Amino acid sequence: MRCLTSLLLLFAGALAAADLDPGVQTVFSARCNSCHGAAAMGKLDLRSAESALKGGASGLAILPGESAKSLLMDKVVTGQMPPGKVKLTAAEMDVVRNWIDKSLKSPVAAKIPAEHEIRGILQARCVACHGADQKKGGLDLRTNASRLKGGKSGPALVAGKPDESLMLKRIVAGTMPPDKGAKELAIELPTDAETQKIRAWIAGGAPDFVQITATPDAVVTDADRKFWSFQPPVRPAVPSSSRSNPIDAFIGQKLKAKGMAYNKPADPLTLLRRAHLDLTGLPPTKADIDAYLADKAPGAYARLIDNLLASPRYGERWGQHWLDLAGYADSEGFGQDDGVRRFAWRYRDYVVRSLNADKPYDLFLKEQIAGDEMSDDWKKAKGVATLEMLDRLAATGFLRTTPDPTNSAERGLISERMNIVADEVEVLSSSVMGVTMGCARCHNHKYDPIPQRDYYRLSAVLQGAYDPYEWKSPNKREFDLALASEREAADQHNAPLKIEQDKLKEQIKTLLEPFRQKLLDEKLQALPEAVRNDLKVKEADRNEGQKYLAAKFKSTLEASDQEVAKKFPETVRLTRAQETELQAIRGKMKPKPHVRVLMDNEQPSQSYLLRRGDAVNFGDPVEPNIPMVLQNAALKPLSIVPPFPGTSGRRLALANWLTQPNHPLTARVAVNQLWMRHFGRGIVASVSNFGRSGVAPSHPELLDWLATEFVQKGWSMKTMHRLMMTSEAYQQSSQVDARVVAADPDNALVSRMTLRRMDAETLYDSLITAAGRLDLKPYGPADDVAVSDDKEVTIKSTPAGYRRSIYTLRRRQTPVSLMDAFDQPAMTPNCTERRQSNVATQALHMFNGSMTWELSKYMAGRVIDEADGDREKEIDLVYLRAYGRSASVPEKQLGRDAIADFRKQWPARLATDGNEAPRSATANWLALANYCHAILNSAEFSFID
Amino acid sequence: MKTRRDFFRNVADGLHGAALASLLGQDLLGASYDLKPKRTHFAPKAKSVIQLFMNGGPSQVDLFDPKPMLTKLAGTAPSRELSFAISNGDTPGMLMPSPFNFKKCGKAGLDISDALPHLQTVADDITIIRSMYGEHANHEPALFLMHSGRTIASRPAIGSWVSYGLGTENQNLPAYVVLDDPKGLPINGISNWQSAWLPPIYQGTRFRTEGPPVLNLEPRAEIPAPLVEAERGLLRKLDAAHRLARPEQPELDARISSYELAARMQLAASDALDVMKESEATREAYGLNDPATASYGKRCLMARRLIERGVRFVQLYIETQIFDSHGDLEGSLRYACGKTDKPAAALVRDLKERGLLDSTLVVWGGEFGRLPISQGAGKAAGRDHGPHGFSVWMAGGGLKRGYSHGQTDDLGFKSAEDRVSVHDFHATILNQLGMNHRDLVYGRNGLQERLTDQFPARVVSEILA
Repeated sequence: MRCLTSLLLLFAGALAAADLDPGVQTVFSARCNSCHGAAAMGKLDLRSAESALKGGASGLAILPGESAKSLLMDKVVTGQMPPGKVKLTAAEMDVVRNWIDKSLKSPVAAKIPAEHEIRGILQARCVACHGADQKKGGLDLRTNASRLKGGKSGPALVAGKPDESLMLKRIVAGTMPPDKGAKELAIELPTDAETQKIRAWIAGGAPDFVQITATPDAVVTDADRKFWSFQPPVRPAVPSSSRSNPIDAFIGQKLKAKGMAYNKPADPLTLLRRAHLDLTGLPPTKADIDAYLADKAPGAYARLIDNLLASPRYGERWGQHWLDLAGYADSEGFGQDDGVRRFAWRYRDYVVRSLNADKPYDLFLKEQIAGDEMSDDWKKAKGVATLEMLDRLAATGFLRTTPDPTNSAERGLISERMNIVADEVEVLSSSVMGVTMGCARCHNHKYDPIPQRDYYRLSAVLQGAYDPYEWKSPNKREFDLALASEREAADQHNAPLKIEQDKLKEQIKTLLEPFRQKLLDEKLQALPEAVRNDLKVKEADRNEGQKYLAAKFKSTLEASDQEVAKKFPETVRLTRAQETELQAIRGKMKPKPHVRVLMDNEQPSQSYLLRRGDAVNFGDPVEPNIPMVLQNAALKPLSIVPPFPGTSGRRLALANWLTQPNHPLTARVAVNQLWMRHFGRGIVASVSNFGRSGVAPSHPELLDWLATEFVQKGWSMKTMHRLMMTSEAYQQSSQVDARVVAADPDNALVSRMTLRRMDAETLYDSLITAAGRLDLKPYGPADDVAVSDDKEVTIKSTPAGYRRSIYTLRRRQTPVSLMDAFDQPAMTPNCTERRQSNVATQALHMFNGSMTWELSKYMAGRVIDEADGDREKEIDLVYLRAYGRSASVPEKQLGRDAIADFRKQWPARLATDGNEAPRSATANWLALANYCHAILNSAEFSFID
Repeated sequence: MKTRRDFFRNVADGLHGAALASLLGQDLLGASYDLKPKRTHFAPKAKSVIQLFMNGGPSQVDLFDPKPMLTKLAGTAPSRELSFAISNGDTPGMLMPSPFNFKKCGKAGLDISDALPHLQTVADDITIIRSMYGEHANHEPALFLMHSGRTIASRPAIGSWVSYGLGTENQNLPAYVVLDDPKGLPINGISNWQSAWLPPIYQGTRFRTEGPPVLNLEPRAEIPAPLVEAERGLLRKLDAAHRLARPEQPELDARISSYELAARMQLAASDALDVMKESEATREAYGLNDPATASYGKRCLMARRLIERGVRFVQLYIETQIFDSHGDLEGSLRYACGKTDKPAAALVRDLKERGLLDSTLVVWGGEFGRLPISQGAGKAAGRDHGPHGFSVWMAGGGLKRGYSHGQTDDLGFKSAEDRVSVHDFHATILNQLGMNHRDLVYGRNGLQERLTDQFPARVVSEILA
């Protein structure tokens, strides 16, 4: 019986597959037919050529004659299909490839290409000169109407006649794109296949663009949309509890269910240090400690939190968290292209200011995604802005953070522009949306219902500003706008330098004059005598003919300094002194104040799905939209309306869509990030991935309660900080025993506070604070870094000390060595969660590095100043500065002994180095410096209980 | 079974020794990521890799890929495609033959140019791939491509992937060591050996070849030595007390260990790099006594000492862009080869004599090749970047010896037969180390990332022994 069934099945298979090549049939039946046979999974049946050509739920699987563009080959080559371990061998892939390219009778290949296919090619190869921005030769190649109209040389397109169509003739003749212009615009030559396609299209009558009606993606189903994070949060009831903070009601309920309870509360000074470091990134000072201990009235802790939230230091600390999400850096990229972004700091300042002002998160987001589209006041401002206007524009720096080497034409190929867009999509999706879009650039998402088309829909939203076909390099994205005070300051600073500059230029001119005359004589000598005589006539006395000649031979009558120097290299020596001075002056000049803005092209070019992410492998056209799985009846759809002429309105639409109060992701992702920073672990542990491949929330009701509370409280981040930090959960001790660790190993239940190592910035800021070297000057251009011969990168001090780490230059190529060792991220492209490693290089930098030793000496000096010769007091002050607490009696004893021991070693050393300072006092000071150095290196300093 | 906590208890008791993970890079807390030796996917041929990176883009038609047709067509105009390949702003020259003669070398008769006389003598030990092709004609993206598989800056280097996949056999040294040129960092700087989103412990560790090998390895000279020890003593007491009051916090144990290890690291790293422990004959063979070859020879010899000690991946760089022969083709190639040829050949011979060539894969090559047309005129003429076809050579590690694979077109412009992409090249290196490029994955944002990304890649099986 069984035998018979198999036979029947075989027979049936043989019948259906009669039109498949035997080789392909073998491959399909061995590798594919178990799913894509009778079962027709994904609606794809590969048992016959006919059914295979029909395609499946993801669209056409095979394009006859074009294996490289066939989805089936994509899936096979990238190993997505077949699922599981066993893949097609290279030989099997070749069989399928050959079948598609050669054997398949090709009804589609003979078809006339659609206009949108041709449009893609022209966008990639031609419209940079013949498009919206430039219409060289009067020609615009973007639409059929404009192609038929043509330019100065006549129509570019003659439908049906490829050999009479200039647009094709020039390509075939190799004159277009032209060598020089193409390279400057980073255009590559059309491939043979592309040329043939244009020919076939014209020969076929050059059919015009047909709007493709969007078919819903079969891969996204209503069931997919029901996944918790794609549905708006519903506010849950707070569990009944004796605790007043709803957070504790949720956490307590779950702990109780597991037979556990909260840990004991942390002691006041531990809590004080924790709260200070958490909210401001700085350790408490002695005055802070004294004030907190003196406040005996009820609610002292809540008042502390309020004070810390009101401190300007709060924005500097939490600004850094946000800059991590944005992937902020002060440089254009990596390697040789790592030039400083002159006005990137405006975005950093915008973030710090906004957080300090507790700007509602929805507005904060909106400004960062579409600040330029919220009003056109800045276009009318004639160069002088208000701070509010400037901030709104600088906010768009959020989507301008990733490496962008395209200032150099050679680094501006379309493929590289696409990489920049991809990075920005990643920043946006990982930090704000909590969905992973990156994989959908090349293929449908493997785990989440995100089809490849969704990636291109979302990148099309950015295409108004990031048009890969009519690209703006970073230099062209600076807008001439600044505060009046900034302009004045720059002018004032530069005015005397300019006078100096002009003087030097005049001197150079005089020095070069004899040579210039020689050169001009030579140049004139090359002309016929009659012309020469006419040209010698003084400007005022020239007749019409002579004027014409003077204009025509303008370059002969003039010689720039550069020209003279090139002709007579010996003059370089002559003017060297002046040139050197000029160079020095240029270095001292302040740049004209500008702002970096992300702004739109008026008419973004057509967006396409790009097969396998390849920049010129055009699939179907796509329109800007949000991921299909988030199209939800409860939400308003994306509505694109240009707010004023000259901009597409796409990003503004996205910002409005994202900041709807019941958006399924925006508030949840934001409160989860805040939670992660306060508690060490997100309620959704995979903070940038709320999808099916992410980690399920540990407390789903709490997450939704917080998300809805956040929106109800006007998206106020400070309200959320206050809520979280005044919970009992937050105030627990981090001390733990083996029983609790066994029951809650990852602290997912929040059974204690998590002990944490300081991150790089907190460590650095704490070091300079403990030493007394903190310069609190906020905002403005970043402080430079110094690179030693050893390639150690350190921060340069200001006269007042060191500014906070957020105000130091973040160049991707020269990370500060100490911070690099402590896991400061490289921004590739952003960082949603810091790592916390413990490696020996950290110890090397802390123990042997110059910075900690210099700071230790400074710290010792200040402590001596303050303690007035009292050793016990010195030790106590060191403890207060470094640990935020007083030293115990045994600790004081340990300190006294250690310092005495250190003290013995110095006199011999000081006697040998010719130091004129009093040796006894110096030895005292240095011994205390050794003590400070050990304290700053100790675990208690860099760990937070 | 020993748990992580037991491990740290031992650490705290002072039972360090050889059981401890790498002195430099090991994340002592890393439960999930470490540098312990890992199981390979299948039996490996090679245990370690020495990559001799030839910055600038060595010219294939002048070194490995003789083109008689170029001599025949010398001075004639190139096709539009070929002339379009010249850099922006430059005028494409005519087809230009090589100023060097080629010899059939070794028993296998491998074609190698006279610019590389020393390599000619080890021809029977190497495999040349003549059909490599890249994607970009600029140094920066081409370097990123060769190192990380993409022309962009944000992906882990191959050395990071290898350390992640294999760990290392010597826990006293980093898994992935970079020996850059003391004259300066290569193009792209430290990004060449970044681990990107792989954990930082897989990042390449730069060993400086002059002075202390690692930044801040030695205590500050201004502090008397006994004081350094005394300070360490105090630190130990402070940390021990702190830890005692905080049980069940492995972070604190890891932290204490990191300080202990840092203190003892000086010795291990310095010993590994001490070429004075080699015989005079060995030093002579690597060219340490000749000013032209001394610097690169020293690094080649250090590389051998490192892989002898179990380092997994050693990457050598050479003077910024020594092979970037835009002008004076003959002179610039003689200079570049004069510095590197003898040491590289000595390394292959030395590894073979010590029986290490079977387990070590040596890889020689740059970020692209060069065009068969001239750039500039007369004696000053050179060649511009050519990513469409170029040569690399490899030795040992289970590859055929005295073998050449693939061909460029008649002019040496484009890879033509048995084309090898950079992804194929990477897949082949991983394969020799016992790893399938499809299976060496790292989960990130829901993606299973890999060195070859989503690109089609095949192991170049033709060159395997």
